[in-house]
This record gives sequence, structure tokens and C-alpha cells, in this order.
Amino acid sequence: MATVIKRFGATDGWVSMPDGTDHYIFGFVDISVVPENQIFQYRGKATLLAPLLDVYEGDEVYLTLTNLGFPNRPDLDDTHTIHWHGFPNQIPLWDGVPEASISVPVGRDFTYYYQPLDPGTYIHHCHFEPVEHIQMGMVGPVTVRPKLEKELGLKFAYNDENTAYDREGLIFLTELDPRPHHLVANVQEFDWTEYSPEYWLINGRSYPDTVKPANDQSMPQQPFSALVEAYQGEKVLLRFVNIGFQQHCLQIPGVPLKVVGLDAQQLRGYNGEDISYWRDVIYIAAGQTMDVIFTAPRAGIYPLYNRNLNKNTIAGTEFGGMVTEIRVSPKP
Amino acid sequence: MPVIDLWAKDGYLSTPDGNSIYFWGFSKSETGPAQLPGPHIVARQGETININLYNTLTEPVSISFSGQSGIMADGQPVQPQYTDGKLLSFFNHAEPGGMVSYTFTPSFPGTFIYESGTNPHKQVPMGLYGGMVVRPADYNPDAREFKTAYGAGTDTEYDREYLLITWEIDPDMHQAVEEGKPYQVSKFLPRYWTLNGRCAPDTMLMDGLDYLPHQPYGSMIMGQPGEKILMRYIGAGIENHPLHPHGTHTRVVAVDGRLLRNENVDLSFKRFTVLVGAGQTYDQIYQWDDLGYTTQNPIPTILPNLRNMGVGDAGWTMWSGSPYLGVKGDIPVGVVSYNEFGEYYFMLHSHEELQITNWGEFPGGMMTMVAIYPSLSPAVGILE
Repeated sequence: MATVIKRFGATDGWVSMPDGTDHYIFGFVDISVVPENQIFQYRGKATLLAPLLDVYEGDEVYLTLTNLGFPNRPDLDDTHTIHWHGFPNQIPLWDGVPEASISVPVGRDFTYYYQPLDPGTYIHHCHFEPVEHIQMGMVGPVTVRPKLEKELGLKFAYNDENTAYDREGLIFLTELDPRPHHLVANVQEFDWTEYSPEYWLINGRSYPDTVKPANDQSMPQQPFSALVEAYQGEKVLLRFVNIGFQQHCLQIPGVPLKVVGLDAQQLRGYNGEDISYWRDVIYIAAGQTMDVIFTAPRAGIYPLYNRNLNKNTIAGTEFGGMVTEIRVSPKP
Repeated sequence: MPVIDLWAKDGYLSTPDGNSIYFWGFSKSETGPAQLPGPHIVARQGETININLYNTLTEPVSISFSGQSGIMADGQPVQPQYTDGKLLSFFNHAEPGGMVSYTFTPSFPGTFIYESGTNPHKQVPMGLYGGMVVRPADYNPDAREFKTAYGAGTDTEYDREYLLITWEIDPDMHQAVEEGKPYQVSKFLPRYWTLNGRCAPDTMLMDGLDYLPHQPYGSMIMGQPGEKILMRYIGAGIENHPLHPHGTHTRVVAVDGRLLRNENVDLSFKRFTVLVGAGQTYDQIYQWDDLGYTTQNPIPTILPNLRNMGVGDAGWTMWSGSPYLGVKGDIPVGVVSYNEFGEYYFMLHSHEELQITNWGEFPGGMMTMVAIYPSLSPAVGILE
């Protein structure tokens, strides 16, 4: 067990799509190690995705949210929260629902505390006017690693040696409807029942940007790569997250996928029954996560894409969107 | 033999943003209001029931009882109905001004939908649907071992139970039907999303309010720490809805009235978001266990001065002002708190977030709360 101290700033920023368009976002930025007198330099530098929260089962996590305000919308004094989506037995104070506890005004701090007891893949997101703040980009991944990793010095999805893996990848799904982003940037209202996305994203990027490296200079506010690399024969854990407003179905033709966990719960019955299963298509609803393990097949490139094929496009025209690649190299 | 009368009628439902929308629904009696959803039907495994449908609408109406077999209509096995060779109803219907009498014997326990089988693309989105719960043959609410969803020994004991029925409203469709104008169902575009026929925040109000005469069922889930709360979801709309309760996972114990168990192999599983498909039902156990914080065992963070924080930005809050269960704190002046005894509230909502708006305005739609009280009357959370 360790004590994890993190600080996320809530602010705004801009993301770019492969067709050259830029889109206004709200989001979080990691200011954990930034001196207090420098935090305002991070205004306007929100990232999509929000920073990863990566902890171990049993850790004590102190996560401070600082509302840095929106430099592009100084008139908009929205409060923010952090909701750890799926945290069991939470108390409302740290659950981040403004209607049921506290939200954080501009210029204020609030510290959330978590002691995660169940390993798995979770989500964090702002829960203030969630239809707007989620679509605007205030979403990020949470990984809770099992104690078994520390005991055996190997990698596992859950406290079970059957969930061992060598490498992991994040497949974090969202959509982007450019109209509300444009309207919010221009101090206008959007009728959310008209939601109709044009961009489909993995880890905050649209293909071909998804396969660019992490922290690529051309996309400073989209730091997460979605490229998955492995050696032949290695076990790869994919953490699927859907925090868009639509269902998605992802597939990697030629690569059978074993589903070992749903919503940060290992697939086990009341009596410990193994109810994991195999799939070729990962069908995932809004607000769900799935932990999937595959064995890297012979060396080559294996595309991962959405079987809702209309989502493999950039603004409905060019090929792109919710696509990435699994690149398998020969054994070294 | 239990006899249930259902009257197909019209009426006007209310939305929290002030809209009044024409709908069709089932009523319990000739003089009662059309209801959204229809009256809950509670039956018992192995016990034959008789349901009489009286039709006051201007077109034929029938009822589909999902999950049931051997259904008889006026003494004959139910059959699709045709006029001039064209399909009119999936099952025997009541003509306008007429009636049809269905009988069947539920052969297994569970949660089921009943809904119109005539012009269903129109009549179900207009509101002709309801929920049916079948108790196991050995059900006995006075003995814990037998107060179960699926029978003794099936790990489905519960302390309280709630039914949540999802549905959507495209007001253009309802207006077209009211005015007798054509409507293309392929253009279906919902602006409202409901739980038990109401949009948030009305979902959190109590049952049987005078000012919601057509929408008698609330959706507030109430219980105590450690209790097993049985949530029965029914998808009565034509869309799928991912329902996400805060606070903790649910254990899905049955789908479509079928216990998730093969012989002795348990197939139940936990989720934090359950996708309720159109026509599906999910039975789940929600159990929130206290993390143990009390004024004697305080939280490890400092509660800031609440005047510096956002509390009740909408003008109201469900919060007590305290981190502790059963304790009330100081809510900033000017904010209305609906908190009664320091109970905890956890949101339960569709994670297709546009569905928690009323015509685009948050908060609204397919959203309610789970309320965990320090103590609660055993009379709360009973389905009848």
C-alpha cells in the first residue's frame, strides 16, 4: 500500500482532428508536481483524455481537483467535480455528483479520497451537467492493479493467475459532435437531443492520429496513443472503456478475444465459477468497461476498428475515426 | 383465479418542463385515469390469471405477455389477427368498444413486460405497456429464506424491491396521433426519456401524487446499508438504455425472467452499467455497504467551508451537508436541501447522457436516485 497524492486542474483547450479542424474542449490537466505559483500557466491546457489515474488495490489516493477556470470562456463560471465511475460503496462526499454533494467553483480546491479495493478498469469524469461536460471532454481512465502483481512480480488484470499478461493497451472510446463544441466556444446553447457525432475517437484521437506516438508534438493536448505493440506469443490486455453516448462494437479480425472482466469485476459466479468467454466483437455500451486478453499472433499489423463501419470515418467522408493498429513483431 | 381488468384509454402526461403530452395507456378501471406505465401486475408461478382488456380507443388493441406460454384469448389459443390478408395484431385483440379476455399460467418466476401487440410500432411508443412480476411458487414475504425473486436456494433473497421501466417520448409522434395526422415512425426522435413514465426530477417524487394522475409510480430507490435491494429493469421503449447506478455495482441474477444458473453453476455477474435492451428485463441485487465513516471514525480529508464550495448550484440539493450517514450539516443559506435524516443519495441514470435531459435541458429524463437511509420502515420498497 502506498499513499498516492495527485492534483488535477479543470480548464479548457483545443483538440485537432486529422481533417485539420480544431475543436474547443473542457478537460483536466495533471498539475500534481506544479508549484502553487505556477498552476495558472496550465489554464487552457486541458488534455483529451484527462490524465490517467493508475493505482494499486489498497492504495490510499488523495486526488485534489483545482478549478482553473476557462480562459476561452471567462464568462462561464461552471463548477466541476471528479466522479470515479464504478467505485463501489462510495460515500456521496467523494462521488462527485453536484446534486448529492459538493462541486468545485473557479479558484477553489477540493480533495477526493479513495481506497480502491477491487482491481479493474474504471473511468473518471466530471459530473457537473454531465451531458455537456462529458461531451466537452472531461473524461479519463482509471486503472486499479491487483495485489497479486506485487506478490508475484508479474502483471495481472485481477487477483488470479489466469489473468496474466505481458503488455497492456487502452482502448478508450468517445465521440465528438462538432456543433456543441463550436456553440459552447461561441457562447451559444445546444439542444442535446440533436446530438449527432461526426468524429469517433480512440484515446481522444481519430485515425490515423491514433497510431502516432504518445505525447506527439503535433497534438499537445491529445497525449494518448492508441497504438498497441507486442511480440509474437505475448499476452496482451486491452482495457476497453466506452464513455461516449453511443454503443460501439470493436473487432480485430484474426485475433480471438477473451473477456476476463466487465466493469472492473472479474467474471466469476457466486461460487467462484469461471464465466469468462471468447468474442470476436467487443460490444460495449456507454458507461461500460471490459478487460480483454489476447495472444499476439504471427508478426504483422492487425487493424482494430468499429464494426459500426460508419464510425470509421472522419466527418463522414475520409477513412479514419475509430480505428487503430495492433503491431506484432517477431520474437526477439 | 385472480382477475385483472385493464382499460385501454387516452390521457395527457406531464413533463417537468411544463409540457403536456397526449398518450395512450392502461387503466385499472372504467372510471380511472390511463396510467403510464400500465398498472403493475403481480402474479404467482403456477397460478392461472385472467386479464380482461376493455378497449375505449378508436383502433383495436391487444396485449403481448412476454415470457408466457399457452395464452388463451376468450377460450382459444392466441393467434395473430389479419384483416384482408394484412397483419393487424400479433395476438387476439379487442375491437374499439369491445373486450378480450386472456388467461394463462406463469410457469416460472421473474420480471416481464406486457405491451400492445397491435400496431405496436405506434401503440407501445404511445404508452400501452406495463410491468409484470411473477413470484416464485414458494414465495413468502414473511420468511427471509422464501422472500426471493426466484425461489428458495437461488441466492435471490432481497429486503426491498423496485421496478424501473425505461421508455422514450417523441412529442411529434404523440401530437400526430392526437390530431389524427400521419407520422413516420422511421423519423422517431425522442426529446424525453422516462423511468416509470416520469422524467427527472419527477422520478424522485413519491407514488400516487394528485398532480401526476396519469403517472402514479415514482422511481426513488430506498434502502439501508447492507440491505439487498432487488432492482427489476424493463426496457419498454424501442431504444436501448445503459443504466448506471452510483454507489456500487449491481449483481445481475436474471435476464428476461431466466435465473442465471445452469444446474449448480452460478452464471450471475456484477456490472456498474447494465444495457437494458428494448423488450429485455434484468433482475439485479444492489447492496451498498457502509465504508464505516462516522463522527467517531472521521473521514481522512478536511471538509472545506461550504460557503466556498458549489452546493446546490441548481438552487436545491439532495445532500445533508455532512460526510456522515444520518448526520445533517450546515447547508449554505439560500440552498434548499431535500435531505431528510442525513441519508445518502446516489444517482442512477442512463449513461447516454443526452437522455438525462428534458428536451436538451439537464437535469431531467432517465435519472433518479438511490437513497440509503440510516433506518427505514420495512413498509418501503414493496411491490404490489
